[in-house]
Amino acid sequence: MRRVFGMGIAVALVAAVAAFVGVLSRATAQGGGTIEADVKYNGAPMIETIKVNKDVEQCGKEKKIGKISVGPNKGLLNAVVSVADAKGVTTAKAAKPVVLDQKGCEFHPPVLGMLPGEIEVLNSDGILHNIHTFSTANPTLNKAQPKFKKVMREKFEKPEYIRVQCDVHSWMLGWIAVMPHPYFGITDDRGVTKIENVPAGKQTIEVWHPVLGTQKKEVEVKTGQTTKVAFELKK
Amino acid sequence: MTPVATRRRPRTAWSVGPLAVLLVVITVPALVWARAGDANAGKAVYERKCSLCHGEKGDGKGPGAERLDPRPRDFTSGLYKVRTTADKIPSDQDLFNVITHGMPGTSMPTWAVLPERDRWNLVAYVKSFAAEKFKEQPKPQELPREVSSSAESIKRGKEMYEAIECNKCHGAAGRADGPSMPELKDEWGNAIRPANLTKRWKFRGGSSRTDVAMRLAAGVLGTPMPSFIDSVEKPDDIWHLTSYVLSLGPESPNYATLVSVGAVDGAIPDDPNADFCQVIVDPRNFNPSIDLMAVRAVYNGSEIAFHLTWDDPTRSVADPGKNVFADAVSLQFPPRLQAETERPYFLMGDSGNPVYLLGWEAGKGVTEANASGPDKVTPIAGSEATGRIVFQDGQYRLVMKRPLASKDPNRPSFEPARFTPIAFHARDGGAGETGPKMSLTSWYYLRLEEPQSNRRFVVPPLVTLVTVVAMLMIVRAANRRTADN
Ligand SMILES: [Cu+2]
Repeated sequence: MRRVFGMGIAVALVAAVAAFVGVLSRATAQGGGTIEADVKYNGAPMIETIKVNKDVEQCGKEKKIGKISVGPNKGLLNAVVSVADAKGVTTAKAAKPVVLDQKGCEFHPPVLGMLPGEIEVLNSDGILHNIHTFSTANPTLNKAQPKFKKVMREKFEKPEYIRVQCDVHSWMLGWIAVMPHPYFGITDDRGVTKIENVPAGKQTIEVWHPVLGTQKKEVEVKTGQTTKVAFELKK
Repeated sequence: MTPVATRRRPRTAWSVGPLAVLLVVITVPALVWARAGDANAGKAVYERKCSLCHGEKGDGKGPGAERLDPRPRDFTSGLYKVRTTADKIPSDQDLFNVITHGMPGTSMPTWAVLPERDRWNLVAYVKSFAAEKFKEQPKPQELPREVSSSAESIKRGKEMYEAIECNKCHGAAGRADGPSMPELKDEWGNAIRPANLTKRWKFRGGSSRTDVAMRLAAGVLGTPMPSFIDSVEKPDDIWHLTSYVLSLGPESPNYATLVSVGAVDGAIPDDPNADFCQVIVDPRNFNPSIDLMAVRAVYNGSEIAFHLTWDDPTRSVADPGKNVFADAVSLQFPPRLQAETERPYFLMGDSGNPVYLLGWEAGKGVTEANASGPDKVTPIAGSEATGRIVFQDGQYRLVMKRPLASKDPNRPSFEPARFTPIAFHARDGGAGETGPKMSLTSWYYLRLEEPQSNRRFVVPPLVTLVTVVAMLMIVRAANRRTADN
């Protein structure tokens, strides 16, 4: 009985949060501004080539692991850009689970951004992977995901950057960025990401990359306008 | 020399130990209630009994830590391998059990000699090194209702072993030779070996059915071994897997110091694949790659043959550029068995008293050599020995044959009924072992049984006596000696 009651509350809460986030985005669509972050890296890309000695059919004979992936025009891929210690921003919970796929013996996406909440870990390869996380705020996970286990549901409730690896395939490395609010983005191959509906006013924009670390910049966000912010990360 | 001599005593005791330990493991949790220890009182005991290895600050860096492999636990991390909880932290009872029973295959001994009160106080003190982590009560890991072992259970376990790909790390036959083995790292980025499932007496968290099921269900924290409770097809599969894992090897090592050589009439078969039981020993303070070797020997009127079996997770030939060397084994004898001289120094002899080595090396085959020290090995020209080897699923099987007698003064002649000193060396080249870096034993004895004249008999390889010898890693002793020279 108590459990049913608890579930009821949870459902109500999720609905309320979803409604609230909806309200928020509608409200800020009028009141907020857009951040367009442009993240560059001037050094050489760091790509490790690994000879595969098992599961060649699923993984391929060779893996190229981009520790630092750089697109054309020196755009840095897979950097997380977010509004740090933001004024006026709201914390939120994910309305539905985000998805982390294991495909071709790689994590997709390599850097996954999410709000605190549930995550679905897929095994598209049909071979054993083990999802092994390294975190401090959230409980660490090390769970086997054999071929017949297509989906595993896990929860990350505390904001932090979590390292994810598979010990069966030692090159498999991913990151989960659990963010305290919806104002974040992950850079594409131009090194660009847009964050919309950011509350107007002075904000600190932070960029984080697993190898290159963190950088912060202050910007003035204006209602209805796009504010550009450029970063250059160095080793 | 001394390290080996002193270490052999606990091993002999150990051979009767496992049963007793097992019984305690099963009964203790039912009898003892977790009780709150007194950390202050625990500190006093800790400083007397534990700090030498685990360090005064609990960081695993005590003065004795340097020589230990695996390294002592760093308590400040709050991370423990053996736990029966679904959380990151172990229960008080888990810590109490490790203190009480020790950790097989490591230097952590049993502390059952300490009063129970002291052990609970130690639990409290050890937790205080990572007090932050122990703030919440851990949830116990639930296990499905026990299914006992049976032929069907073992069969289902094998299916599951293959379906969930335990072989990726533990190997197809459980000998820790899976394809992911070389890549495995612990929480701190150090290379870590998967358990050899055929040697259950070395399982860190014990080898009772419940222990094994619990490791499968909860995983081994700080290592690549994941939790499988949500990753089997049906909950009962945890028990079937347990049945299968426990079917892979004997319950405990059988350890001997005498190799009895049976007499046979007629040709000695040299099929390395002849099947026989496996075995043996916990090298306590060291963690050599090759920790035991099964030995059989037979002779007839003209030849003597040795059949050696040992587990090696990597089959390797020399590739010095990659720090990979040739796998190798050798049998060591005094070159002159007739003379009642003193046995040569066990570590490959010395200049005054050399040894004879009958060996095999990947890429070279069977070899004969004399040695007067680990770095002074002289091959004997014109080898009289032959041999055959096979390697499968992380295990070598080798047969070496040699004439019973030799006119060469550098080669021993074997005679029935005489006790002949014999020692064993093994190198896992894939683990970077070469030269004096190897597993070895001190002197054992070999005895050729006298043929019974009124009864002609043939001893097929399957029933000849298997002797298992304990391999000790004495890299450090060997290195030190080389450095001294
Ligand atoms: Cu994997």
